[in-house]
Amino acid sequence: MISTIAVHQIVALRRRRVLATLLGAIVGVNLLAGVLGWASRTTISGVFDESVKLLNTRGLASPPNPFLLKPTLSLLSNEIIYVTMIGALVALVLGHLVVAEDDNGGIGRLVFSRSITRLQFAAGKIVSVAAILGAGMLGCVGVSIAALVAVNRTFPSGGAIVRLFGFFAFSWVYLMLFAMVGMVNLLATNRRSLGLLTAMGTWLVITFVIPQFTSGLRPSQSLNPIVDPISTSQGFFKITSKARPFSVSEQFKAVSGRILATSPAESTGHTIARALPIFGSFVLLALIVAWLINVHDYARCADE
Amino acid sequence: MSGPAIELRGLAHRYHTEPVLRGIDLRIEHGEIFGFLGHNGAGKTTAVNILTTLITPTGGSASVCGFDVVAQRSEVTSCIGYLPSEVRMYGHLTALENLEFFAKLSGLAKPRVAAKETLAFLDASDLGDRRVGSFSSGMRQRVGIAQAVMHKPQVLFLDEPTTGLDPLGVRQLRETILRLNRELGMTVFMNTHLLSEVAKVCTTIGVLNHGELIYKDSIEATTRQFPNEGSLEDIYVRMESVPV
Repeated sequence: MISTIAVHQIVALRRRRVLATLLGAIVGVNLLAGVLGWASRTTISGVFDESVKLLNTRGLASPPNPFLLKPTLSLLSNEIIYVTMIGALVALVLGHLVVAEDDNGGIGRLVFSRSITRLQFAAGKIVSVAAILGAGMLGCVGVSIAALVAVNRTFPSGGAIVRLFGFFAFSWVYLMLFAMVGMVNLLATNRRSLGLLTAMGTWLVITFVIPQFTSGLRPSQSLNPIVDPISTSQGFFKITSKARPFSVSEQFKAVSGRILATSPAESTGHTIARALPIFGSFVLLALIVAWLINVHDYARCADE
Repeated sequence: MSGPAIELRGLAHRYHTEPVLRGIDLRIEHGEIFGFLGHNGAGKTTAVNILTTLITPTGGSASVCGFDVVAQRSEVTSCIGYLPSEVRMYGHLTALENLEFFAKLSGLAKPRVAAKETLAFLDASDLGDRRVGSFSSGMRQRVGIAQAVMHKPQVLFLDEPTTGLDPLGVRQLRETILRLNRELGMTVFMNTHLLSEVAKVCTTIGVLNHGELIYKDSIEATTRQFPNEGSLEDIYVRMESVPV
C-alpha cells in the first residue's frame, strides 16, 4: 500500500511537469557550481600560466600551481551553499505539493474510504519525496563527476567519488528535512497559500536567522562554510555557541565541508556530533508528518 | 447476508460544542435505495462521513455490512463505495490512471482490467484515456461512480450526487443507480435535495431535521400517509415545517 501511494504520487507529479522542473532546478544549480568552478579555474590558471611565463623569461622561480594545493573537490564547494539555499527551497515546494492535492482537491476523502491506514498514507508520501530527491541527488553526482572530468581533464579518484556520494547522501537527508517542513506547514495550517508562506518563513529562519545568532551575528557565516573564528570567551558568544547544535544549516555546512574534505580537519566524533541534529530532525519531522496526517480532517471539504 | 446493511444506534456527533447529529436510530436493509433528505446543515454529510469511516462519531454507534464503523474500520471500507458531492481526482492523470490507483487501494488483483471493465459497465469507456482535469461535471461524476463501484461494494454511499449535473446527467445518474441496484444488488444510501429524483429512484426515505431523524418509511407508505399532498416535495415541506 505504501508503494502504491508513493508510485502514484510520483506519476502525478511527473505528469504535472513539476517533477522535471524541481529536479531540473536541483541538478541545474549543481551544474552551475561546476561551471563556476571551471570558469574560475580557467581564469586563474590562465593568469598563473602567463605569470609563470613572465617569471621564466626573467629567470625567476615560479610558484606551484595554486590548484594543485587545493583539495580535488574544492571545485564543488559552492554546492554546499546551493543545497542549503536553492535545494532546500525546492524540497520545501516539493513537500508542499505532495500533500496539497489530496487536501484541497478532496481526494483524501476518496482515499480514506478505502482500506488504507493513515500511517501507510503518510509513509507513502514520505517515500515518494525521498525517491524524487534521491533521483535528484543521483543526477547531481553524475553532473559533479562530469564537471570534475571537464575541469581536471581526468576522472576523479575512487576516494573522491565516495566523498561525492557521501556528500549527496547527506544532502538528501538535509533536503528531506525541508520537504517535510513543507508537508508539516500545509497539514498544520490547512490552507495552501498560508502553508507555503509559513514553510518559506521556516526556511528563512533555518537558513538565515538561526545561523546569525549561533555564529556570533556574522552575516557571512550564513553563506560561507568556514569555521567561526570569533572567540567564545565573551558572555554573549558563549550563549550563542551553545545554541549552535540547533542550527541545522550550520551543521550541514560544517559536516559537508568535512565530507568533501574542503574544510579544516576535525575528529570524526566531532563531525558525527554535528550531524546528529540533522538526523534527529529527520526522525522528528517524519513523526510529526505521520501524526498530522493521522489527525488531519480529510472530510472538511465536505459540504455540510 | 444476515442483518441490516446499515444500522445506526443513537448516533450522535458534535463539532466542538455544536451538536450536528442528535442520537439517530436507523436501519436500512440490503437491496434498499435509501434517500436521506434534509435541509442544508441538517447533518446528512456528517452521517455519511461517519458511515464511510472518515470521521469518528462522538456518541452512539453505527455499523455497515454488520461491521462497526469505529472498531472494524478496515472491514467497513472493504464493503463500501463512496461518491462525494463534488468529485475531484488527480486532474493531470487520465480517468483510467485514477481508477487504477483506487483499484489498487481497494486491493483488486488486476486494477487496470477492473478499471476498464467498470468504465465499460457504465458506458464510459470513451473517457478512459482522457485527463480528468479536462472533464465536465457530468464526466467527472461518471468516473467518480466508477471509482465507487469498481470493487463491487455491498453498500454505495452517494453524497448529493446530482450536484452540478445537467438534466441529462441527472437522468444518466438515475439509470446508473437503478442498474447497480438491480444488476449488482447494491444497497444505496443517497443524500440528496432533488426530491423528483428521490421519488423515481428511492425505495425508502428518511428525513433529517437539525440532526434528528424525524421520519423514515418507504416511498409507497409515505405517499399513502400523506394523501392530500400532491408530490414528495409537498410532503417534505410539510415535514420540515413541523417544529422539532
